[in-house]
Amino acid sequence: MFRHTPLRYAVLAILAIAALMQAFTAGYFGLEILIEILILCLLVLALDLVAGFGGMVSLCHGALMGVGAYAFVALNALAGLDPWLAALGAVAITAAVAWVIGAVCARSHGIYFIMATLAFGQMGYSYVFSAPLFGGDDGIGGIDRFDLTALGIDLSDSRTFALFCLAVLAAAYLFTVAILRSGLGRSLAGVMHNEKRMKALGLITWRVKADVFGLSGVIAGVAGVLAAQHIQFISPGLMNWTVSGEALVVVILGGLGTLVGPLVGAAAFVVMKHQLGEITTYWHLIVGVILIAVVMSRANGIFGWVEARWGARIERRLSDATRASTPKEVSTDA
Amino acid sequence: MTHDLSFWTLQTLNALQLSMLLFLLSIGLTVIFGLMHFVNLAHGALYALGAYIAASVAATAGFWVAIVVAPIGVALVGVVLYGGLIQRMRKSGPMAQVLVTFGLIFALLDLTRIFWGDLALAMATPPALSGQVDLLGVSYPAYRLFIIALGAAILAALALALSRTQVGAMIRAGVDNDAMAACLGINVERLFFVVFCVGCALAGLAGAVAAPLLSVTPGMGLQILIPTLIVIVIGGLGSLKGAIAGSLIYGFVQTFGAVLAPQLASVLIYALLAAVLVIKPVGLFPAKG
Amino acid sequence: MKRATLATLAAATTLALPAATAADTVDIGLLLPFSGVYASLGNEIEAGFALGLATYGNELGVEIILHREDTEVTPAVGLARTRKLILQDDVDAIVGIVSSGVLGAVRDLVDGAGVPLIVANAGNDEATGEACSPWITRVSFSNGQVNRPMGRWMAEQGIETVYTLAPDYAAGRQMIEGFAGAFTEAGGTILGSDFTPFQQTQDFGPYIAQAQASGADALFVFYAGGEAISFVNQYASFGAGDDLPLYGSGFLTSQLYVDAQGPSAEGVITALHYVPTIDNPENAAFVAAFRDATGRTPSEYAVQGYDAARALVEALETGARDRETLGAALRQVSFDGPRGALAIDPATNNVVQPIYVYETVTGEGGMTQIVLAQLPAEADPVNGCAMPSMPTN
Repeated sequence: MFRHTPLRYAVLAILAIAALMQAFTAGYFGLEILIEILILCLLVLALDLVAGFGGMVSLCHGALMGVGAYAFVALNALAGLDPWLAALGAVAITAAVAWVIGAVCARSHGIYFIMATLAFGQMGYSYVFSAPLFGGDDGIGGIDRFDLTALGIDLSDSRTFALFCLAVLAAAYLFTVAILRSGLGRSLAGVMHNEKRMKALGLITWRVKADVFGLSGVIAGVAGVLAAQHIQFISPGLMNWTVSGEALVVVILGGLGTLVGPLVGAAAFVVMKHQLGEITTYWHLIVGVILIAVVMSRANGIFGWVEARWGARIERRLSDATRASTPKEVSTDA
Repeated sequence: MTHDLSFWTLQTLNALQLSMLLFLLSIGLTVIFGLMHFVNLAHGALYALGAYIAASVAATAGFWVAIVVAPIGVALVGVVLYGGLIQRMRKSGPMAQVLVTFGLIFALLDLTRIFWGDLALAMATPPALSGQVDLLGVSYPAYRLFIIALGAAILAALALALSRTQVGAMIRAGVDNDAMAACLGINVERLFFVVFCVGCALAGLAGAVAAPLLSVTPGMGLQILIPTLIVIVIGGLGSLKGAIAGSLIYGFVQTFGAVLAPQLASVLIYALLAAVLVIKPVGLFPAKG
Repeated sequence: MKRATLATLAAATTLALPAATAADTVDIGLLLPFSGVYASLGNEIEAGFALGLATYGNELGVEIILHREDTEVTPAVGLARTRKLILQDDVDAIVGIVSSGVLGAVRDLVDGAGVPLIVANAGNDEATGEACSPWITRVSFSNGQVNRPMGRWMAEQGIETVYTLAPDYAAGRQMIEGFAGAFTEAGGTILGSDFTPFQQTQDFGPYIAQAQASGADALFVFYAGGEAISFVNQYASFGAGDDLPLYGSGFLTSQLYVDAQGPSAEGVITALHYVPTIDNPENAAFVAAFRDATGRTPSEYAVQGYDAARALVEALETGARDRETLGAALRQVSFDGPRGALAIDPATNNVVQPIYVYETVTGEGGMTQIVLAQLPAEADPVNGCAMPSMPTN
């Protein structure tokens, strides 16, 4: 069960402050990076929800984000709908697609689940890659950002758009936490822990999985809409399985099933990628070595490592000081 | 357009050829998984490495030396990987394994770029195997027949080794239940090591054999990874039978899909994979029920 | 809303202008893939560009400051780097772009901000058609341009029926469309076309057999990169060339891959805007200088980089120093280069250049090319490009 430890609150606060500082002080390139991080954060949040809390390791979340982006383009640029309506439609479509994928794959586990989701993702990728309607691999443009001028907000400005993305991310985070704390979230925890037992208790486990997958699709769809609006141009590369692979790396690197960890991972990954990209075109090599090193250290990602090392200690000290009533439930998912 | 019998014979041979290439690649991956429960996503990168080694060796020492050296070279890399990484990762969960091998893909990709550059390399077909052979009324490239024959030979050798030799029996025992096998006095660790290295060698062999047929590029490992994974998942993990079935299904669907439904060629195989997993969530012939 | 973006960007850039106009330095962004699948093309274009600057740029009295950015062949990354070049590094012009996807992603940005962009590869027809911009000048080629003359030429050679193959992506389809349109117009018949899944096709055997069974006079294909090598090798291994000769878009047997194809490429006839064996003094000098600098024979990508540098230098020679004047000057550029006489079509801003039909043959020390015909330069159809006159802000 997901719980906010003081450490998690602290890291969230630091992340929020860092993002705000970056948003107000960064130059144009810094803002681009910030927006890229925020959108990746949405994607890994969606992925951590299913992978970290439902044991459903998905290799189609990049493609789901792509469904959101392409659906938005279809409704906005091609059908001419207002961006808000188009976004609503795009998110609904993504959620529906995700629900179906979740329902179909629910019986598969482990590597089979990974491969089944991969298959669906690649089907979507192959389709848009050669679909003339969406410009094929050349991509498609003419995408509008949301119009908030009525509120005096101009989203065409990078800084404002970054702040808008940050607000959306905060909302998505709260949404995810709410799901995990709901009845559905508790059922999911049960399914992840022991699916057979939950079945025996009369729970329709595939429904639980599909529902959570669909809700995860909502977040992925939002990420897709923002990604489309950010670049105002999309191409099939967005849906390639390597995007899902990278997102999975970020989730695991950050700390599977911690929600906060993947956010840290996303920031670290994007910054590292750009910094290394400046130095050498062989940055994949360095990222690869770092990945291996982190995993060999046997921690649950960067954040998991921090939690394992300091989390318990900080928590004990804090709870002693405040005489909190339930210090028993030490985070088991670290 | 009407097609005569020789056309379909030709396409059947094409399908067999692709199947055998995929079989060489997938058998190592699937047995490693069956025995060690280890998902080695870097298997494609090892295949690329085999192709690069073969192309370099062939340039100076010729094709036949190359297809011997490449598997040995890749097996040696396998030894290093096993000692350095895999052995320690055996007890970690599948997540960690996926991540480590993902890191390996990144690292190996750039290492091949650093050593061999970005430009595609090529490897010439050996003179003895260039040209065509008349077979069943069609004229078919000799080199493709060689791939089919090599695949069939390896398949026969593996089937024999698994069913008739002591090592084969030990492997089967290990796939069934490694803890029990260890209790029976089988040195499971050494078995793992041998199987891992043989799997790597087969990946290297596949790369070497594929090099004259395809071009040798840094991205080739990533390109072949997905087909290989599809093969072993359709077939069911861990079994020789599954790898054969998966390879044949992939080869035939891909080849005849290209002929009969060219518009669907790119999505057909993914649709098939999804369909198989919906009907049989653990593939057609999994090693364990 | 998009208009608003562009307006903001334009405002930001006008503010930044005075700093750049005063001094005799220009900042040039070099936007190429240095990692990812097209890294080899990025390196080749950069080598040509560097040689072009060294050859023509020394006596200008202008200091050219290069800002080198890696697009990673990803539209999102390409766009972010372009924003950096325009807004942070404040460049006066941008050179490069290999993939049409990246070009599509940055198109609105450079157009809105009013930054001249010299396209040194990306060949999608729309870039100088529907999506044309006075700020985007292409010195490389367009997909249709390379293949249209070949359609007529093949018909003139008495080839009546053709089967076509290409990878299933936008460029592949445009190349085949360009060829097929001209070929059928000249009286030929396309018996069948297949589009193979891009970068998923390991085995071209099924398609080759299909083409053979069609009974066509010839096969016309477009493949590039690793697929070009695989295709040519596999085609030769089937011995299919005897009754179904292989023709293609010249990228198939590009200088960059022909050594890897080896004797398999023998006798393949293709058409392209450049081959290293074109016989003119500019090309002789270019090939010699490029070999001196890099040790290899230049490909069409190298000459695109070289001519991009040449175009930039020609524009600077008119006294242009900032975005506005450079943008205007680039559209007037014309010169005799390794590819022959080049000019920019004012209607689309695409290059107008001759196309060379060549046969790949075994020469001393590797494969080489014999130019069979030089087809006259012609401007692309306007393709829906409504070129606005240069904004004078």
